[in-house]
Amino acid sequence: MATQRGLPQSKESLLQNYNKRLKDDIRSILDNFTEIIKTAKIEDETQVSRATQAEQDHYEMHVRAANIVRAGESLMKLVSDLKQFLILNDFPSVNDAISLQNQQLRSLQDECDKKLTSLRDEIAIDLYELEEEYYSSSYSQWDSTDLPLCEAYRRRDSWASPGSSCSSTQGDREDAEGPPSQEANPQQHLNGHGTSSIEKP
Amino acid sequence: MANERLRALEDVEKEIATVMQCAGNIVLELSKDKHNASLLDRQLVQFQASVNRVENELSGQIRYLTQVATGQPHEGSTYSARKDCQMALNRAEYAKVKLGELGRTCEVMLEQQQQQQQQQQQQT
Repeated sequence: MATQRGLPQSKESLLQNYNKRLKDDIRSILDNFTEIIKTAKIEDETQVSRATQAEQDHYEMHVRAANIVRAGESLMKLVSDLKQFLILNDFPSVNDAISLQNQQLRSLQDECDKKLTSLRDEIAIDLYELEEEYYSSSYSQWDSTDLPLCEAYRRRDSWASPGSSCSSTQGDREDAEGPPSQEANPQQHLNGHGTSSIEKP
Repeated sequence: MANERLRALEDVEKEIATVMQCAGNIVLELSKDKHNASLLDRQLVQFQASVNRVENELSGQIRYLTQVATGQPHEGSTYSARKDCQMALNRAEYAKVKLGELGRTCEVMLEQQQQQQQQQQQQT
């Protein structure tokens, strides 16, 4: 398959090295284990004395057991290298992980913004009523440059339908003190934290 | 998908430990005067099965990596989505702080009002 030719030499040689290590370690485990079992067999006829033969077998078994353990540790190292290689080079799974993470983050962001928007709408409704109450009371110190929310909404409605009459209790307060300044400020008042800095004329 | 492959490799590590354990049990059993043949058979079967499983699983992983690896670094990231989410959380935190301030202001006003009423009652 063409994908194998497309691999750079380092990656291809690395994977071949992994294969070789796997085969060597498995062969080492099997061969050494088989030899230990063979050595465990008691033979009647020996070339040297029994004690010497026993000592030799004991030493051989030690070495072969150590070889089995070394091969096992080498296999563990191979597994660790494969895990690292997989994390870095398994692009399908990396793409899936990235897209899943992006999806989760975007859904969290959407949920957050949705809740903030609903909170803003609720507060705007309450603010509308509070301002209406406040500006119709005797305690209000109405500044001509400060346009109440309810008045801003009324004006916006009147702009939308020019034929309609804008009659309100605050409509009488629209003196000629600063209509341009009032019109310049509804943006500033509607957006609570002032997204645009509109200067007074 | 990535987690499954990594979990499979962790299972392979456990299998390697099983291979060593079985080999040790077999040699231990052979060192005794009287061997338990059934135990030896069971351990041997488990040893062979584990070795075969380790070899097959690792060969399969290496074959998959041979097909999938490109040699190029991956350049994807989640930075933009993470930043947008962080900004959304900052907006929520800011709104929370402002509402907290508003609540405290209302409480201060109510306390002042109550104090004024108490003073008026005391005067009368």
